[in-house]
Amino acid sequence: MGWTLFITIALYTVGLLHSIFGFCQKRQIFVQIALGMVACGFAFHTLSLVLLSVQRQHFPITNLPESLCFFAWCISLTFIIANVRYRSNALGAFVLPLVSLLTIFSQVIWAENREFPAWMNSGWLHFHVSVAFLAYAAFFLTFISGVIYLIQENELKEKNFRFLYFRLPSLKVCDELFRRFLLVGFVSMSLTIISGAIWAQHAWGHFWSWDPKETASLVTWGIYLILVNYRFAAKGRGRRAAYISIIGFASTLVTFAVNWGLHKYL
Amino acid sequence: MFNLVLVGLNHRTAKLDIRQLASFNAEQLPEGLRRLSVYPGILESMIVSTCNRVEVLASADPQSDVVSSIESFLSESSGVALPQLQTKLYRYRDEQAVRHVFRVASSLDSMVLGEPQILGQLKSCYSTAVDLRTVGSALNSLLQWAFRIAKRVRSETSIGEYPVSVSSAAVELVRKIFGDFQKISILVVGAGKMGETAIRHLADTGAKAIYLTNRSPEAARDLAGRFNGIAVPFADLSEWISRVDIVITSTGASEMLIDRSMVQRAMHDRKNAPIAFIDISVPRNIDPGIGTIANVFCYDIDDLAAVVEANFHQRAKAAAKAEKIVDQEVQAFCAKAKSSKVGPVVQQVQGRIEEICKIELDRYLRKIGPQEAKQVQELETMISRIAGKIAHPLVIQLRSQPDSLNQSAYMDLIERILKTKDAPE
Repeated sequence: MGWTLFITIALYTVGLLHSIFGFCQKRQIFVQIALGMVACGFAFHTLSLVLLSVQRQHFPITNLPESLCFFAWCISLTFIIANVRYRSNALGAFVLPLVSLLTIFSQVIWAENREFPAWMNSGWLHFHVSVAFLAYAAFFLTFISGVIYLIQENELKEKNFRFLYFRLPSLKVCDELFRRFLLVGFVSMSLTIISGAIWAQHAWGHFWSWDPKETASLVTWGIYLILVNYRFAAKGRGRRAAYISIIGFASTLVTFAVNWGLHKYL
Repeated sequence: MFNLVLVGLNHRTAKLDIRQLASFNAEQLPEGLRRLSVYPGILESMIVSTCNRVEVLASADPQSDVVSSIESFLSESSGVALPQLQTKLYRYRDEQAVRHVFRVASSLDSMVLGEPQILGQLKSCYSTAVDLRTVGSALNSLLQWAFRIAKRVRSETSIGEYPVSVSSAAVELVRKIFGDFQKISILVVGAGKMGETAIRHLADTGAKAIYLTNRSPEAARDLAGRFNGIAVPFADLSEWISRVDIVITSTGASEMLIDRSMVQRAMHDRKNAPIAFIDISVPRNIDPGIGTIANVFCYDIDDLAAVVEANFHQRAKAAAKAEKIVDQEVQAFCAKAKSSKVGPVVQQVQGRIEEICKIELDRYLRKIGPQEAKQVQELETMISRIAGKIAHPLVIQLRSQPDSLNQSAYMDLIERILKTKDAPE
């Protein structure tokens, strides 16, 4: 494992511990330190991905370890951007564990560089995979915002003024985060499908072949289309939106996991 | 140590009438300090007077009975007979006094744990004493340290964060739903006393608009004028519910003013945007069943009491942490005070012994006539070594005394022994 990734994992993990401690103890200083460490970790993460690409002469998504590492990077990026706008202690405590785990796990199952077909090395591929992962990351964060919303709403409705009530952000903030992540995710997902179709046409000669991953991503996109319509057009809010986002995230996981058919190189 | 003495009374030991008699307002405080400093044995002094406590903090001459002086002073200035007053006073010395000052500054001794006013009050009493020059190095270092700790407690524990009044708890609750208040409009129904406090708290949050309604239009208009709100007709109540984000009811009405169907209609009109109802009337004016409707949050006075209780619980937890911090700081302060006293005394001891040896050396040299420079130097080195060897065990004993009482006794003894050697030959 490269030294850059080692530093990345160290920074993420220490940042994670600070975030959880700051969340539980309600001390802002720890949350700020956590954010700083994650930002530094992100810088090193970016560096390690760049070095990896240069070393292996391709975009780092050709096997599972690489994709997981890149996915963690996407989540990290989305998280940092969200924190610039909404200093929410809760988000870090919920999201950072996954970032650290993914990065560590990707190193645990690290595999050597693999030969892959020449047609994979194209700009469309890079774009397609990047937005796909961005979409997954954004949908994950939508899911988390929904979960936090549900927990907080439950505390408020049941009038349970306990541990979490004091530490979770207001419903309004949860909702705003939810909305923004949803939008980013939906746009990214749409771009993923479109760019995928264009590239498929370019590489294999047809826009759509109903291979499992394509189908799954279409289903996911459909669910989020319903959610976007519900949230923005019908102005539905609250619990139902959160529930739909949970279903949507489950579908996202399936889409990510499905790797046979044309997408079998992973 | 510094021989600190603190004598006073607070809301726990004395009722309001006695506290009022004993207190010093802003005009009386300088005069009080002047009269206090006249008492013998009081080297430095400071008076802390708030609506909940009156305390005299002094650095005293160890020989005098400063406590009785302070008690007489308080009895005289309050007009309360001494025996009666004495039962209400608490007396602290040295480390206990330090602990008390630190706890008071950190709002651990306040009537409402974690209240923010005490620090400002303490600072103002301190600055009056500074202006009158009744404080010296001992009280200066104590108070400066206390202000630092108060800040530390506030930032490291969440002792000040949980609102413990019903109306501020209501505001906090609403904040958990709506985030910030800038785009929020509020409807206040009725004008009970509780309602007024709540309105004031809400008006301070910067809400976009406050609407007031009452069965009597004049009352509504009157309140609206006072809080910069808008009076609206009572008959349009159901309409107004769909337009605002928060509804507070505080009327004397005995029937339900807002029921389930009204709220369902309102939710339909406002496209399910969240809305909060706070019912602080007794008996209830809002049907509690509306809480089951999606995006409707309804709280009555029992719920607010539960919030306050939960907050108190959090404050108590924070207070436990704060007490630990105070403990740490008391140890640190006392250790520092101890060592700083010891330093100069150690110097004195060594200097005095060297001085004695030097006197004898000079006498010896005068007797036996001038010697070689080298010889004189050897003799002077020997003198230093003797002084060092005698002083060394004394210093070790001094520094290793476990508590300030023994240490002061030791220092006293040493100083007295060395002084008698000063008698002219």
